[in-house]
Amino acid sequence: MKSWMSFFLPDDEYREKMMLYFFSESAVILLLSLIGMIIYNHYFDISVVNALLISILIFLIYITGRYVVSGIEYTDVTTDKAYRKELKVIAIRVIGFFVILISVYLLLEGSDKWLKLILLTLSASIIWFFASLISLKRSYNKNKDLL
Amino acid sequence: MKNNVKIARIKASLKQEQLASRTGVTRQTIGLIEKGNYNPSLQLCVAIAKALNKTLDDLFWEVE
Repeated sequence: MKSWMSFFLPDDEYREKMMLYFFSESAVILLLSLIGMIIYNHYFDISVVNALLISILIFLIYITGRYVVSGIEYTDVTTDKAYRKELKVIAIRVIGFFVILISVYLLLEGSDKWLKLILLTLSASIIWFFASLISLKRSYNKNKDLL
Repeated sequence: MKNNVKIARIKASLKQEQLASRTGVTRQTIGLIEKGNYNPSLQLCVAIAKALNKTLDDLFWEVE
């Protein structure tokens, strides 16, 4: 079946099906939260920007969270050796992200707000690392059961 | 869904990884199908049957 949505979906049919479930679940939760916000707005004031930001966050966090805990990201990690190798790749990727982002920002913007920037980048890197770690662990456990 | 994919794969001396690459899916998907935890599409059933030189009946038809 042709759909522009297939651009965002993986080629593997199981992963594709799971991603479609996550998108659908997230859309339903988003709809319910929007209805909740309309009711909330009837009694209390909520700014449009806040409502939009909350909606976007609900949609993205739900899909990301479901993807991370589903264990479908690292489909080929079945041995302890492969697990450790992938863990190293994740660590290098996250450290690379941190160093490149800090370097680019300092080059372009100077060092006025460096502490704030370092804390922000560090937080993002830590969250990314732990999300990848959980995803890897879940994938590894799932794959081991399927051997 | 119960099936004979694992038995047929072992008889064909193929690893999950090899069957996965021949059918264009991931190793995890092959594992899930073998365990009966995922029902593949007809297209994938045919691809698996062709890769293992079996018919759909041999792999997916339950006989009492």
